[in-house]
Amino acid sequence: MLKFSHNDLFSLLITVGVMLIIARLFAEIGKKFKLPVVMGEIIAGMILGPTVLGTVNPEVFSFLFPKESGAKIALDGITSISVIMLLFVAGLEVQLQLVLKQGKTAIYTSVTSMLIPFVLGFSAVWFIPQWFDYETNHRLVYALFFGTAMAISAIPVIAKILLDLNMYKTRVGQIIMAAAIFDDLTGWLMFSLILSMLGKEGEITNIWYTVVMILFFGLFMLFIGKKIIDRALPWIQTKLSWPGGVLSISLGLCFLSAAFTERIGLHAILGAFIMGIAFGDSAHLHEKAREIIHQFITNIFAPLFFVTLGLKVNFIQNFDFTLVTIVLFLAVICKLLGASLGAYLGGLPKRESLAVGFGMNARGAMEIILGTLALDAGLIDEKMFVALVIMALVTSLMSGPLMKKMMT
Amino acid sequence: MEFDLNKLKKRASYPFETVAVGLAFSPEMEQLLAEAKKITDACGSKLILIHVGEKTKEKEKSLEDILFRINIEEKKVKLIWADGDVVDSLLKLCKLNIVDLLILGALEKENILKFYLGSIARTVSRRAKCSVLLVTQKKPSQKSKQKVIVNAGADHPKTIHSVNAALYFAKNLGINEVTMVHEVHVPALAMAMAESSSAPEVTKIKKEYSEEESNKLHSLIAKCNTGSVKINEKVIKGKPGYAIRQYAETKKADLLVINSPDTHLTFLDRIFTHDIEFILADLPCNLLIVHSRV
Repeated sequence: MLKFSHNDLFSLLITVGVMLIIARLFAEIGKKFKLPVVMGEIIAGMILGPTVLGTVNPEVFSFLFPKESGAKIALDGITSISVIMLLFVAGLEVQLQLVLKQGKTAIYTSVTSMLIPFVLGFSAVWFIPQWFDYETNHRLVYALFFGTAMAISAIPVIAKILLDLNMYKTRVGQIIMAAAIFDDLTGWLMFSLILSMLGKEGEITNIWYTVVMILFFGLFMLFIGKKIIDRALPWIQTKLSWPGGVLSISLGLCFLSAAFTERIGLHAILGAFIMGIAFGDSAHLHEKAREIIHQFITNIFAPLFFVTLGLKVNFIQNFDFTLVTIVLFLAVICKLLGASLGAYLGGLPKRESLAVGFGMNARGAMEIILGTLALDAGLIDEKMFVALVIMALVTSLMSGPLMKKMMT
Repeated sequence: MEFDLNKLKKRASYPFETVAVGLAFSPEMEQLLAEAKKITDACGSKLILIHVGEKTKEKEKSLEDILFRINIEEKKVKLIWADGDVVDSLLKLCKLNIVDLLILGALEKENILKFYLGSIARTVSRRAKCSVLLVTQKKPSQKSKQKVIVNAGADHPKTIHSVNAALYFAKNLGINEVTMVHEVHVPALAMAMAESSSAPEVTKIKKEYSEEESNKLHSLIAKCNTGSVKINEKVIKGKPGYAIRQYAETKKADLLVINSPDTHLTFLDRIFTHDIEFILADLPCNLLIVHSRV
């Protein structure tokens, strides 16, 4: 039996400490150049991982990240927990009432910015398979995944861009946020379905079972779970220690919900995401509690997760220029077309519609999480993963300046 | 029955020339009619009493007795007995009679099933083309100073009309102090600031937002006809509808004034609760929903 030894603990503590500090360092350097934090964290991972450190000094690399050890298993556990928590905070910001409230324009933008990229992404895999490298028996799942990867948005990076451009409370800003919320919700539900379809051993499982279970769990949480949380939150926030009470209960329920969905054959991320929605939707959740949850997860677990991406893959060896170009081109065109068209049909002028398109185009951390889970599930290879990461970073970088240009 | 919609379009939200009361012959009917009398006397309005349901001798007698007790002269009141669906009939009769304010009795909180399916008072509130006053079962306040809170969401074009209607209402009823509340909600702001904003940046952003919203509220009030009414200004944070509901409850308000809904509200709006639905889910006090017809 593998035992977690004194040496493993020592190694794990060194690893986590180095990862957190280097990630923060690069995030702060990136911030000086107005780069997304996630970019700094991934660069930190690339430097610590096989791309740089593994090539330059393999001994230090092996010391920091020993392959067969208890520390490696523990680190894998930490990153799995990190991704679950990241999905929980993503769910916290899914407030569907925003979509309803923004009316026709938001609904049109939400639907087209999801549907058009999904259909075009799916069609690209289905009709031009030579562009992609996948197992032929996974064609449907791969096409569904690629459609989802094209359709998903990233609320954190979009919110940050809107904040920087002082567009948060403008009509365009509100429509972008509402549509991003809708796209995130449908995208993650779709992705959970895809992962569940893959099954535990990479085999395709019964799709109807998965759909029924997702619907059952989603509706249960929407009608009953959400109400229970809504009733309990005022008590949690006033009777238990502050902010410890709400932090432990929310994360505890997040893990239990993730465990439940994992157990019934859905992916753990779905449970965390839906539990996040149930918590975030409650008007009783104090803004301060929301801030603390975000701070805790975004600054401790997100860096650990994004640094490990750099450890998993050699970005130089797996850089495929043609694939990166195809993925980037498709991602930009699909999202720009979908979101701008929806906004235009919903009544926005041309330039504002394009601004919505460019705003929605930012994929950021969510796309990278999606890619990582697909890589771990064996659905995509390292080359596609690298292409998705680059696409996520480039779209996040181009979003702000292009939006600004459209609005001036 | 035909009615001229042009008479309703762009009709100002105040004065309340015609006030109607929906009668359900519940135990609270006397309290409801007393409230209606107070308003019609203060605003000089014409009073219409509407009951959708069977006309019986008992009901007629009961109404006659109540009107006598609260000193309403029956001949000065237009009494309408109607048949059919209660909500549709009430809405139609309000349009026909160019009603400016419809007064209805309402439970503070409906049971979950009834709330989702829609009770009469709440369904009328969501659909009415005139202002609606929901009178809760709470005993009328004995305080010398009535607390009126107005949802002064400064970003909304309807708000100026609602604020002016609230001020008109306050002046006529001798209420000399009104609190204007502006709700601020910036979704995902915590997330946007979490990863890369330093402490001074966060403080600066929050301060700027707060000042910007206070200025908006201040400018809105400057445009209103406040007269001698003392105005208190308050900017609160939280989900729209929910934040002001909580504020009204905490402050033990007697009346909360809000804009009418922007869109046709459906079952989905009660599932993904927002704005007025937070207030209708649990009324903190009497609620005046101003229909500005703009």
